[in-house]
Amino acid sequence: MTLRILFALTLLLSLAIAGAQQPPSVDEIVHNANLVAYYQGKDGRAQVQMTITDRQGRARERRMTILRRDAADTDSLEDNAYWSEQKYYVYFQRPSDLNRTVFMVWKQLDADDDRWLYLPSLDLVRRIAATDKRNSFVGSDFFYEDVSGRSIDLDRHELLETTDSYYVVRSTPKDPSDVEFAYYESYIHIDSFIPVRISFYKEGGEKYREATALEVETIDGYPTVTRSQMESLETGSTTVMDYLSVEYDVGLPDDIFSERYLRSAPREHLR
Amino acid sequence: MSRPALIDRLADRTTTLATGRPGAITLLMVASLVLLAAVAALPSIWPQTFSALHPATIDTDPENMLAHDEPVRVFHDEAKDEFNLYDLVVIGIVNESHPDGVFNPDSLARIDALTEFVQGLSDPKAEPGEYRGVVAVDVIAPGTVDDIRQDGPGQVAFSWLMETPPVTAEAAREIRERAMRIPMLRDTMVAGDGSALAIYVPLTHKDFSWNVREAVQEFTADWPADDQVHITGLPVAEDTFGVEMFYQMAVSAPLAMLVIFILMWWFFRNLVLVISPMIVAMVSSLSTMALLIATGNTIHIMSSMIPIFVMPIAVLDSVHILSEAFDTYRKFNDRRKTIEHVMKSLFRPMLFTSLTTTAGFLSLALTPIPPVQVFGVFVAVGVLLAWLWSILFVPAFFMMIPEKRLAAFGHDEGDDAGSRTLLGRTLHATGRGAMRGRVAVLFGAVALVSIAAFGITQIRINDNPIKWFDADHPIRVADRVLNAHFAGTYTAYLELHDTSTGSLETLSAEVASALGDEAEALADRGLAERAAIFEQAAERAGSVDADDAATYFSELQDAIQSSADASDDPFTWDDAWLVVDAQRSRLETFKQPEILEWMIELQNGLLEDPRVGKVNGLPDIVRVVHRELLGGGEDEFRIPDRAATVAQTLMTYQNSHRPQDLWRFVTPDYRKTSLWIQMTSGDNQDMEQVISTLDAFLAENPPPVGIEADWFGLTYINVVWQEKMVNGMLWSFMGSFLVVLTMMTLLFRSFLWGLLAMVPLTITVALIYGVIGLIGKDYDMPVAVLSSLSLGLAVDFAIHFLTRARQVYRHNRSWTETAREVFGEPARAISRNVIILGAGFLPLLAAPLVPYQTVGIFIASIIFAAGIITLVLLPALITTLEKPLFRRLAKEA
Repeated sequence: MTLRILFALTLLLSLAIAGAQQPPSVDEIVHNANLVAYYQGKDGRAQVQMTITDRQGRARERRMTILRRDAADTDSLEDNAYWSEQKYYVYFQRPSDLNRTVFMVWKQLDADDDRWLYLPSLDLVRRIAATDKRNSFVGSDFFYEDVSGRSIDLDRHELLETTDSYYVVRSTPKDPSDVEFAYYESYIHIDSFIPVRISFYKEGGEKYREATALEVETIDGYPTVTRSQMESLETGSTTVMDYLSVEYDVGLPDDIFSERYLRSAPREHLR
Repeated sequence: MSRPALIDRLADRTTTLATGRPGAITLLMVASLVLLAAVAALPSIWPQTFSALHPATIDTDPENMLAHDEPVRVFHDEAKDEFNLYDLVVIGIVNESHPDGVFNPDSLARIDALTEFVQGLSDPKAEPGEYRGVVAVDVIAPGTVDDIRQDGPGQVAFSWLMETPPVTAEAAREIRERAMRIPMLRDTMVAGDGSALAIYVPLTHKDFSWNVREAVQEFTADWPADDQVHITGLPVAEDTFGVEMFYQMAVSAPLAMLVIFILMWWFFRNLVLVISPMIVAMVSSLSTMALLIATGNTIHIMSSMIPIFVMPIAVLDSVHILSEAFDTYRKFNDRRKTIEHVMKSLFRPMLFTSLTTTAGFLSLALTPIPPVQVFGVFVAVGVLLAWLWSILFVPAFFMMIPEKRLAAFGHDEGDDAGSRTLLGRTLHATGRGAMRGRVAVLFGAVALVSIAAFGITQIRINDNPIKWFDADHPIRVADRVLNAHFAGTYTAYLELHDTSTGSLETLSAEVASALGDEAEALADRGLAERAAIFEQAAERAGSVDADDAATYFSELQDAIQSSADASDDPFTWDDAWLVVDAQRSRLETFKQPEILEWMIELQNGLLEDPRVGKVNGLPDIVRVVHRELLGGGEDEFRIPDRAATVAQTLMTYQNSHRPQDLWRFVTPDYRKTSLWIQMTSGDNQDMEQVISTLDAFLAENPPPVGIEADWFGLTYINVVWQEKMVNGMLWSFMGSFLVVLTMMTLLFRSFLWGLLAMVPLTITVALIYGVIGLIGKDYDMPVAVLSSLSLGLAVDFAIHFLTRARQVYRHNRSWTETAREVFGEPARAISRNVIILGAGFLPLLAAPLVPYQTVGIFIASIIFAAGIITLVLLPALITTLEKPLFRRLAKEA
C-alpha cells in the first residue's frame, strides 16, 4: 500500500506548483490542503463504497453517491477566493434497508454548518444538531464533520516541522469545549498538499484516532484521494471509503441541494 | 507370611532407623525441604536464570474451577468477544443527605473527576503491545454516555449526557431527569429514587479489579462523607477474595499452629519435645506447597487451603506418638525403650489412618473440577509426607533430647497414673457409662442420625462469591446498598441466536421468484426493457452456486453489480440489486419487528421474576430512538412496523458518540442478540430460579422462528461449576467411602470390624451435613470439600480405638478388661488430639473471610463429633456385638 501511495505521490510531483521558492507559511499550507481535500473544481460527484470493519474483522458495507457544489466559481488561492460556502448531498443506495437515505450538509463560513438526515422509511427529515457534528456518521468511524471537512477557521495551526516529503502541522481548537480532541497533527504532502495522515490526540498526548489517505489518483487534473481510512484506536474499528468513480465539474444544479430533494432524489444526477 | 507380620517388620526397621540415626534423619528431612523449596523458589525469584523450572503462579479466578476447554467457558468467552462485553466493576455513589441525592453540582463534579480517573487506569502487567486494564470507551458514566433527546423542531440530538459538570442545582437535576427518560440508563446508571449514580467499569482482565478498587478508594478517600462510594461486582469480589485469601493464609495458618503448640505444651509439659510435631507440620505443608509450585500448578483458592488441611493431619500422628510416649515414659525411664513400645503399638494404626486419609483426598481427583483435583492430590501427598516424617522424625527428635531434659515428662509413676488425672477419670467413666447404657447410646445415635437425615434433605446448595466476605466487609455493604438502589449489580447474559437454516435451493428459488414477480409487474406496465433486466437477474439468482446463504448473496450481488456497471441502464440493475438485498435482509432475524416484539415479551417474562431487576436489550434501543425521532411522545415508544424502519432507527442510534454500543446487543449480521440481565442477587439458587423462569417462558411462548437461547456471564458460570462440584463431590465421597471400607476390612480381616470402623465417620458426616441443612447454612465450595477431610479425620480415631482394642484383646481375651485399658492411653491420645486440633482451628473463626470461618468451625466440629462418637458409640456397639466381633479373634489367640 505504501508503495502505491509513494508511486502516486511521485506522479504528483509533476503537478506541483512550481516557482514557490520561499517555503509557504502555515496559513498557505493549510489553505492549500483545504483546497485539495474539499474544494477542487466547481462541483463533484463520487460513487463511494464504505466498509466498516470492527476489531473482530466483521465488515459492514454501505454504498453511496456523494454530490458536492461550491458557491465559489474559482479554485484560486489568491485571497482565499476558493473558500466559499458548499453544499453536500450524500445518497445511500445500499444496503436495501438504508436505500434512499440522504445526508445533506450546507457548509457555512461564519456560522454552524446545517445538516439534515432523511430517513425514508419514516419519511422523516431530521435536522442534526450542531453539537452532534463530531458524532459517528452512519455508524462509521468518520464523523459528520469529516464528510464536509472541518472549517480551518476553528483551529489554530502551527507548522511543527518540514520533512523531505511532508509539512507537519499541529492544529489546536480555538474552543476546546467544542471538540473531543486536544489537538491533531496532519502530514501534508509537500508537493500535492494532500493530507496523507491526520492523527488526533487527547489531553496528555494519547493518540486515539487516525485518518490515512491510502490511495491517490489524478482525476481530471486534480490530485484525488480515492481510498481513505479512518481508524478508531479505542474501539479497534476501521472505516475505509473507496471512491469507485470520481468526476469533477459535472454541472450540478444548486436546487437539488434542498429539503425538497431529500424526499425525491435527483436520480439523473446520482449516476 | 501374612501382611501383618510384614507391617510389624517394617515398624521395627523404621524404629531402629529413627532411634539409631536421629541425626541422619533430621538432616535428610531438612535437606529434602531445602531442595524442594529451592526448586520452587528459585524460578520465582530469578525467572530468567531458572527458566526450565516453574515459578509460583497465583490464580485467584474462580472461573478456573472449570477447565479452560469446558464448553460453558468456551461459549462464555466467545460470546463476550462477539458482543464486546467485559467483566464489570460497579462503582456506586450514594448521597442520602442532599435533597437531590448525588445530582448536585458538587457531587457530579467529583463523579466526573472519578470517571476520568478510572478511564485512565491500566495494568502495568501488560505484555508489550498488549492492553490490559479499564476499557475506557465502554465505561458507563454520566460523562461518557449520550443523551437522546428533542432539540428543537425536527431535531434529535445525541449529546453527552454530562459534557461538563453542571454549575447550577437546576442543571444537575436536569441531568437526572434526562437520564431517567432513557431506559438503558434508568435503574442501571441512575437509581430510580434519584439519590445515587453507578459507574460501570469494564475490564479487559478480571484480575485487575482489586487494583481498580484500591485506586478508587484512594482517589475518593478525601470525599465528604455524604457522598458514599461503594464498589462491588463479582470480579471485585473474586479478585479481592484472592488477595485477602493470601493475607489470611499468612495469618490463620500460623495462628492455628500457635494455639496447637500452646495446647501441646500444656499437655506434654515439655517445650522442646512439642516442637517436633510443629516441625513435622511445617515441613509437610511447606514441602507440599513447594511440590505444588515445582510441578507447575497454580496457587488457586483451593490449593491455598492445602496447608490448613495438611497441618491438622500432620499434628494428629505426632500427637498420638507423643501422647503414648508421655503415658509410658515413666514405666521405662528410657527413651529408646519408650519409643520402641510406642511405635510397636502405633505403627499399624498410623499407617492405616494415613492411607485412609490419603484415599479420602485422592478421591477428589475423581471430581470434574481441576482445582479440586489438584487440591485432593496434593493434600494426599502432604498426608503421606506427614506420616513419613511423623514416624521417622518424631522418634528421632525424641532420641536427641537428653534424658535429663525429660525429667518433667510423663506421668510420675507407673502405668495407671494417667488414669488418675481428670481427663483419665472422665474417660474411664465415659467408657463404663457407654457400655452400661449401651441401649440408650444406640437409641440416641439412631435418633441423632434420623434428625441428621432430615437435615440433609433440607440442605440448600448455594454459593455466591460476594458472600465469601463477612457481612460487614465493605464489599458486602456495597453489595447491599447498591442492590437496594439499582436494578442489580449481578450480571448474566442471554444470547439468542437464529438457528434456522433454510436450504439454499429454496432460498435461490425465492430470490428468483421475487425478481420474476417484479419483472412481470414491469412488463404489465409496458416497461419491456426493464422487465428484461429483471428476468436476467432472476436467471442469475437461480444459477449462483454457493455453500451458504451469505456467500450466495454476496456472489449474486457482485454479479448484478458488474452487470450494472456494464449496462446502459444501471438504474434498473440497481433496482434489481435492491430486490435481492431485500431478500437477504430477511435473514437479519433481529431486525424483524415480530422478533423484536417477541423479545419484549421475553424481557417482560423475565422481569416477572422478582430476582430480575432489569433486562436491557435491542428492543429498548429501537423503542427509545423511535420515540425521539417521532417527537418524543410515549405512544411512539414502540417497535416500528417495518424492518427497514428498525434498520434506520438503529442507524440513527449509531449516529452518536458511541456507535460501538449497538454491537454489545446484536452482531452485525443481526443473527445473534444478547440480553443484559441485571439481578440484585448473585446467589446460585437465584440464578437457577431465573434460568427456570426463562425455560418456563420459552415453553409457553415459543419464538416465531428457530431461536435458541443460551446463558453466559459470571453469575451463570458459577451455577455451572457448582452443579459439577456437588455431583462430583457426591461421587468422590461415595468412592472414597468404599475404598476406606475395603481398606478397613483388609486391615481387620473382617467385614464386620471394617463396618464398625466406618461408623464414627458415617455418623460424623451425617451429623455435620444434617446440621448444615438444619441451620440453613448454604452448601458451598468449602463445605463440599470438607466431606473429604471429615472422612480422613473421623476414621483416624476409629482406627486407633479399634486397633488398640484388638491388640489388647489378644492379650487378655476379655472385652471388659480390654475396654478398661483402651480407655487408658489410647483414649487419652484421642482426646488430646480432639482438644488440641479442635481448639487449634477455632482461631479461624476470627477470619474476615467466610470460607475460612467455615473451614475452622467445621474442622473443629468434625473432630469433636468424631472423637465423641468414637469414644461413646464404639464401646456401646462393641459391647452389643461382642460375640460376633471377638469370635475369630478369640480363636486366633
